[in-house]
Amino acid sequence: MSVGNLLENWSQFRQAHPVGDKPHQEYKWAMSIDLDACTGCNACSVACYAENNLPVVGKEKYSHGHAHHWIRIERYWDEDGREFPDQGAQFLPMMCQQCEAAPCETVCPVGATNHTADGLNSQVYNRCIGSRYCEANCPYKVRYFNWYDYPTTDNVWPEPMNQQLNPDVTVRSKGVMEKCTFCVQRLTEAKSNARTEGRTVRDGEVQTACQQACPTGAITFGNLVDPAARVGKQWMQQQVELTKDKQAKDDAEEASMLRGYRIFEELRPYPSVMYLERVRDSAV
Amino acid sequence: MTDNGFDRRDFLKVLGWGGAAVALSGCGYTSVEDGREIVTSYSEPAEYVIPSIGVYFNSTCAQCDAACNIMGRVREGRVLKLEGNPESAVNRGKMCGLGQAGVQHHYNPDRIREPLLRNGDKGEAITWDKALELIAAKLDGVTGEQVAFVTGTMSGHVGVLLKNYLAVLGSTNHYAYDAVSPSVARAANKKAYGVEMPRLRLDKAKVIISFGADFLGAWVSPVHFSQQYAQFRKHVLCPVEETAIGGRGVLVQIESKMTLTGANADRWLAIRPGTEGIFALGLINALGVAGLKISSDAAAAAKSYTVERVSADTGISAEQINKLAALLKERAPSLVIAGSAAEGYAHGSQNAAAIALLNQVLGNVGKTVEAPSVVPFPQVAPTVGNRFALQALNDGMAQGKFKVLFNYGVNPVFTAPASMKLSENLAKVPFKVVFAHYMDETALQADLVLPLDSALEDWATVVPEYVAEGAQLNIQQPLMEKLYPGTRGMGDILLGLLKQRRPDEYKYEDFYAYMRNALVQNKSALGGAGADDDTFWTSTLSNGLVKLPGGQGKLSGKASTAGLALPAPAAADSAYPLHLIPAVSASLRDGRHANLPWLQESPDPLTTIVWDSWVEIHPKTAAKLGIVEGDIVEVAGKNGAIKAQAYLFPGIHPDAISMPLGNGHEAMGRYAKNIGVNVFKILDPVYDKETGELAMHETRVKVSKTGQRVVIVKDEGAVGGKQMGKKIAVRVSSDKIDLSGEV
Repeated sequence: MSVGNLLENWSQFRQAHPVGDKPHQEYKWAMSIDLDACTGCNACSVACYAENNLPVVGKEKYSHGHAHHWIRIERYWDEDGREFPDQGAQFLPMMCQQCEAAPCETVCPVGATNHTADGLNSQVYNRCIGSRYCEANCPYKVRYFNWYDYPTTDNVWPEPMNQQLNPDVTVRSKGVMEKCTFCVQRLTEAKSNARTEGRTVRDGEVQTACQQACPTGAITFGNLVDPAARVGKQWMQQQVELTKDKQAKDDAEEASMLRGYRIFEELRPYPSVMYLERVRDSAV
Repeated sequence: MTDNGFDRRDFLKVLGWGGAAVALSGCGYTSVEDGREIVTSYSEPAEYVIPSIGVYFNSTCAQCDAACNIMGRVREGRVLKLEGNPESAVNRGKMCGLGQAGVQHHYNPDRIREPLLRNGDKGEAITWDKALELIAAKLDGVTGEQVAFVTGTMSGHVGVLLKNYLAVLGSTNHYAYDAVSPSVARAANKKAYGVEMPRLRLDKAKVIISFGADFLGAWVSPVHFSQQYAQFRKHVLCPVEETAIGGRGVLVQIESKMTLTGANADRWLAIRPGTEGIFALGLINALGVAGLKISSDAAAAAKSYTVERVSADTGISAEQINKLAALLKERAPSLVIAGSAAEGYAHGSQNAAAIALLNQVLGNVGKTVEAPSVVPFPQVAPTVGNRFALQALNDGMAQGKFKVLFNYGVNPVFTAPASMKLSENLAKVPFKVVFAHYMDETALQADLVLPLDSALEDWATVVPEYVAEGAQLNIQQPLMEKLYPGTRGMGDILLGLLKQRRPDEYKYEDFYAYMRNALVQNKSALGGAGADDDTFWTSTLSNGLVKLPGGQGKLSGKASTAGLALPAPAAADSAYPLHLIPAVSASLRDGRHANLPWLQESPDPLTTIVWDSWVEIHPKTAAKLGIVEGDIVEVAGKNGAIKAQAYLFPGIHPDAISMPLGNGHEAMGRYAKNIGVNVFKILDPVYDKETGELAMHETRVKVSKTGQRVVIVKDEGAVGGKQMGKKIAVRVSSDKIDLSGEV
């Protein structure tokens, strides 16, 4: 595809945008993460390393900000100046939010990152030229650049560690951007199996690696188009709508009984990940 | 055609591997042994190999003693990823990061690949036959009491073979050692409940008071407890019918250093180190004052622990104590857990006993503290490790009691405090055999190093110490062909050693044959009555576990106030003013997993630091000492000093500092060597008065600046865990939401 073609048919490559020029048909992959269940244990992150061939970069490169954790646990403290954080810490699993109007997509000079019909923010490795504009424009800081050719870097995948690499996932080379894909290789397989049987993917039939590992089941993943999907029921119950930038909870009084929200709603990226607020008991 | 294809895949998904299959599988087209490429046509693949389709095989996780049931994804003969087995009562399809990193032990480039015999400073490769002959020769003329075995927790049929071998040798010297085991709590539980490991029902408790038990991180069976915790946070189960009825459970964590579990508490209380028992008795007293009916002996024991006194001793406000007592009185049943922080003192047993008494006063025994199912075959039940074993072994070595020592599954040279002089005492043993995966610190001192199969290549049965629901026998089976021909499974080694002595009794070709025979012979007791041997065996391997028909156990003991005497809070020590809290990392544990790169690069959940050790210090204490983040500080105690980077951490008592265990290896492999410092080394030799266990939290230290400073390598940003007014990770008070109707 030439850049000319890309620019000419821009709307095609910006499909599934909330403005409604291309509504989702069969699939819209989305997630919800219950922060009251998340314990911050990092099992999701290790699962992602195993599933998606993420390189272990070592201490020095980590200090340069080159870590490749597609899903990371952010840890926040209260900022009220008390002596102890006596309501614990705040953990937040952060990964690509698969925005519907992704800020990273509009700045890519070569259309390497764009929206799929399933509502994923995809990254085309062999189209990426490594400008890193997308990384700069991502408000969530969830894009990771290959500063090195990790497959040939010492002690990243030394023999026989390379035998663990997942053949379903590309091992990326130097100079390309990468990020969470919602385990697109699993989605593709599930869709293909379903298509063979003349149906769509059933809820629960496909799990992302992080969701599968999560010991407390904090992560729910599924198809928002499917009315039977748990993720959609959660979004609906929390009155979080994909195509709005202001949710019911934002307007409601204090005790709205809702705890669903999306991060950086005000930037209007229309993320596909809803978080459920962490709860702390008022009695102690 | 297509339909058949899918059925076939489903059928193959959880197929067990028989012995023949193991020999056949391979990597499809590469012989790992000699590096030659062998072209194998996929037009006639082996039955279970479908090119490009992952097949799952069930097995058992060997990363910690929780023994979760796992399934490995195998494609073209290689194991790629480990997932939880959904049929397991232990982990219900879930897995922690530590467990998943098991594949990195298997594919680790630093594994030992052939038996090594010491020749001066070097290890010389020898054959297995020669190695076993050498052992036979060294055992010749040696009495049973001159032979010792030091291992970690042992169970299942490998454990049976070990017992048999020791019996054949006439040795009673089996030292089961675990550097970070909850052994003091086990002893206290035995007294209070009649069992060492009662079944804890987090999912039935409306309130959990945990005294430093990191049950979401590194304590006993974290994945199992995490599942219960999820239920506890949504709706506590009804005590009888076990249907969800209650509201969201409340977690209060009381500890001097915040653990992962503490970070998830509704209320985290920083207690003065060592005063956990005082706090428990204070709660009993406060409950009595609040009007809870309390037995007279418990009331008498707690009588002098008034709110004012307890508040002064523990540093927790009187208001907080009263609030907690009111909550406990109002919401029953609750659950009180004594963790490693409470038991880590010279009076650890007393702390644990006071906490057990609190459970009894609250009426939790029988409700949230249940009897575990009985393991019906005592010979396969686990022999659990403790720290006392190492002291006993060390004393024996110091006296020159042992001529031959076998070491399996532990690294005592790394985990023993320097004051034990274990390394020197080990040198007094003339012949030391170490079964090892890596050339770790203990293997480096061996005379003979015997390389083990990885847990993903080996056969075993495992009985978890913590019985989740019913008792079960877990099957560990190879998930792929061995990577190296020169490694052996522990079962095979023990069988080989037994054959030397009793060739007529052990006529099994290999451990696989022994294990199959042992299970098949008992098939009627293992739920396979009526099935033919092959069917029973195949389904057992396919399931990866056997549910044992164990009866419900009974709680028998009673928490007693007799002998309950808690010392006053420790006096300030002007030379060594700070308590050192060695923190057990959920991923590195006692250091055995330090050579796994995924875990080294997985940030510590609370500090977000990677690839190093650090010193957690409260900002107030740091300010007093003029320490800022990244200062290299010297932590000096009576038994040595170590240096590490300082990290200002609000979740710690100002009288304490904390350092993580697990790093500081001088050997082991490329990912572990020279990373961080070994905190085990400087621990003071203080022991729990009742059990004799090393009291891990009794070390006193002073902290001083060295003048050097580094930039800490960590995941959190430069502003250090602040949201800067943005709504990123949001919290809500429980009275503002209603969880009961949530999807």
